[in-house]
Amino acid sequence: MSTKRNILVFGLGLGLTLLAGWVAFPRVLYVQKQQPLEFRHKTHAEKSGMAECSQCHALRDDGTFAGIPAMETCAGCHSEKMGTSKAEAILVDTYIKPGQETPWLVYARQPANVWFSHAIHVKRANLACAECHSTYGETDEVRVYAQDRISGYSRDIWGHSMSRLRRAPHEGMKMSDCEDCHRRHNLEVGCLGCHK
Amino acid sequence: MKLTRRDLLWGVAGTAGLLVTPVPWKLLDDVSIWSQNWPWIPQPARGPVEVKQSFCTLCPNGCGMRVRMASGWPVGVAGVASHPVSRGALCPLGFGAHQLNWHPRRLRTVRHRASSSSWEAARVAFAKACSEGPIAIIDGYPGRAASSVFETFVQKRNGSYRTVPGPETLALAPYESWSGVPAAGLGYDLENAQTIVSFGAPLLDGWATPGRFTRLWAERAAGSTDPQLRLIQVEASLSRTAARAWQWVPVHAGSEVALAEGVARVLLEERLVPARGPMPPMTLAEAAEQTGLSTGAIVDLARTMVARLPVVAIANDDNPAIAALNVVLGAAGARGGIVRRSKHAESYASAEADVESARAVLIDSTVPWDFAPPTNAEVFRFAAWDGGTGTSDWLLPAPGFLEDLTDVPTAPASAIATYAVAPSLLKAPPEVQSAAQFLGGIDPALITVEKIIHTRCADLFRGRAGTLQGQETTSVAKVASVQKLEEQLWKGAVWIDEPPRSAAFRCELKEWPATVGSAPAMSSSENWSKAWRAPVLPPLASKLYLESSLREPPDRRNV
Repeated sequence: MSTKRNILVFGLGLGLTLLAGWVAFPRVLYVQKQQPLEFRHKTHAEKSGMAECSQCHALRDDGTFAGIPAMETCAGCHSEKMGTSKAEAILVDTYIKPGQETPWLVYARQPANVWFSHAIHVKRANLACAECHSTYGETDEVRVYAQDRISGYSRDIWGHSMSRLRRAPHEGMKMSDCEDCHRRHNLEVGCLGCHK
Repeated sequence: MKLTRRDLLWGVAGTAGLLVTPVPWKLLDDVSIWSQNWPWIPQPARGPVEVKQSFCTLCPNGCGMRVRMASGWPVGVAGVASHPVSRGALCPLGFGAHQLNWHPRRLRTVRHRASSSSWEAARVAFAKACSEGPIAIIDGYPGRAASSVFETFVQKRNGSYRTVPGPETLALAPYESWSGVPAAGLGYDLENAQTIVSFGAPLLDGWATPGRFTRLWAERAAGSTDPQLRLIQVEASLSRTAARAWQWVPVHAGSEVALAEGVARVLLEERLVPARGPMPPMTLAEAAEQTGLSTGAIVDLARTMVARLPVVAIANDDNPAIAALNVVLGAAGARGGIVRRSKHAESYASAEADVESARAVLIDSTVPWDFAPPTNAEVFRFAAWDGGTGTSDWLLPAPGFLEDLTDVPTAPASAIATYAVAPSLLKAPPEVQSAAQFLGGIDPALITVEKIIHTRCADLFRGRAGTLQGQETTSVAKVASVQKLEEQLWKGAVWIDEPPRSAAFRCELKEWPATVGSAPAMSSSENWSKAWRAPVLPPLASKLYLESSLREPPDRRNV
């Protein structure tokens, strides 16, 4: 076999593997899931005057984070249909009237062995929500939830970039991302800081 | 199959290509996370997360705890910084306590001589024993509402109530015989001491309420060459406390009594203290020979001890010579020494005394697993976890961590009286019972733990003394009703008594206490490790022990 042919075979093999690893692998690894409802952050902020994230994603009196608001919060305004959209009908008929919680797929959900305090990060460190959650709260679309078939967690945890190189500050919520941010702020915490 | 050059090139190219794709690294990461989420690994239910205040009930110190609950299940534990005694600290066992209820050695069935049995059979057997002869009940944490149930039960049957005192209470026992004040009513006024001489007591390794001394030491001594609080550690090995103390006095194992006598002799002969006797029988030379120190070192130690007053010596167990040294130093009944915290404390008989004549002995789950009563009677032992080899006739499953309502009386060695209520945050499994519930099944006329706690709250309200320390500090005199007081206590507040008008007590030492036997077989620090050992450990506690060397077993120490 000539050298040229050897290079060709090697290059072809390399190219196919790279293509499989960078293009096909993410498509196979992540399953695309739709949220149960179409929700518009921007519309709520602009038309309903709910401009602050904390108006729905509140901290409780004891400092714990309430996360995605419970159905009773939504029912405060949507006890009856407020429009003719399909999402509005699903919200009221499927969830609010029967008293069912909406099974939102949480992009930032962490494993159960992680303890994270929103209160410390928001109140003491004055971090803006967007520093970890990006500007999702300003958009008017519901992102597709990409779920890792093996770990079961959202793609937001690893970050959109498969290489995790040159990613934006808000991208990724892995332990190393927490550590990097803490290091940048000269705040080293031990294992028990998060794994209590 | 023949391997061709082309195959080889494909393989090399594929491997090289694979290594510069995210495939291996992402798969490695995913598989590690996947392995953490296998279906047989307990996971807290997803649901609202709340934090509840409670108290650790794994030992009598009752440290304040914030319990993080997810969907009603405890998933994490942290200290309460506002707790007046524990001050935010917990020991490794406390930090992992929420895992204990899932421990594989959790007891869930009644056992009779290694065979499976039933609660009914145990009740019948105990009732029969009660009718046939005297019974004894052994309690690990006296002073609780459950302790009152035990005392009432044995009083009605002419039985005996016995306790297994911890090392801190044992160390205070000699003063009881010299002053008449019950050891349970005495405590160490560490907050006002300037010099503390510890004879093997692991003050920085979880002695008494772990946070009390460690916080004090951090505030007044840590990192200073001339600290406000001088800690002198007398110990054979370089323990964690010895390594961090202001001064470590290495002595031969078991020679603490000799050193106490040698120091007392110097104090009296050189008139370094106002006391004039009694003189210990041991000469300075004999003390030096036994301890391995020079006579000069003992003289220097005595002078250092009184250089900054008040000074108090802390023994690791029932050691009359070290108690006598405190009397010579003037620390017994004085500010910064050993003080009387309450006038209402009771005196308890130790479980070592006269249980051998009992027909049956009931051991509460608060008694350390290693304790074996000196008796041939039928033994009914309550325990939440099986600690391994045991000699009990009956093994009765008790409620686990946070599964039983209990109150938390004053911690041993505390200088102030406190009271708290640890509600049951978890529903106990139907197959477990506390000893108080078991006795209630035999004698329905017994008052329940809940009613006794209610009565105690009413007594506190009527007393109008002290403060309630919760999220806010409120004087009991300003609490509107007993219901309000009880409500606050159930939510995690601690009642703190007012400091006694006079913490002094008179301690008469007519002659120097005789040394019992020769040098002890085990060093005092070894005794401590043995007395403290938990029957089982949750994984988090095991990790903390391993990584922090806290309460390391004696065989791992460098002597």
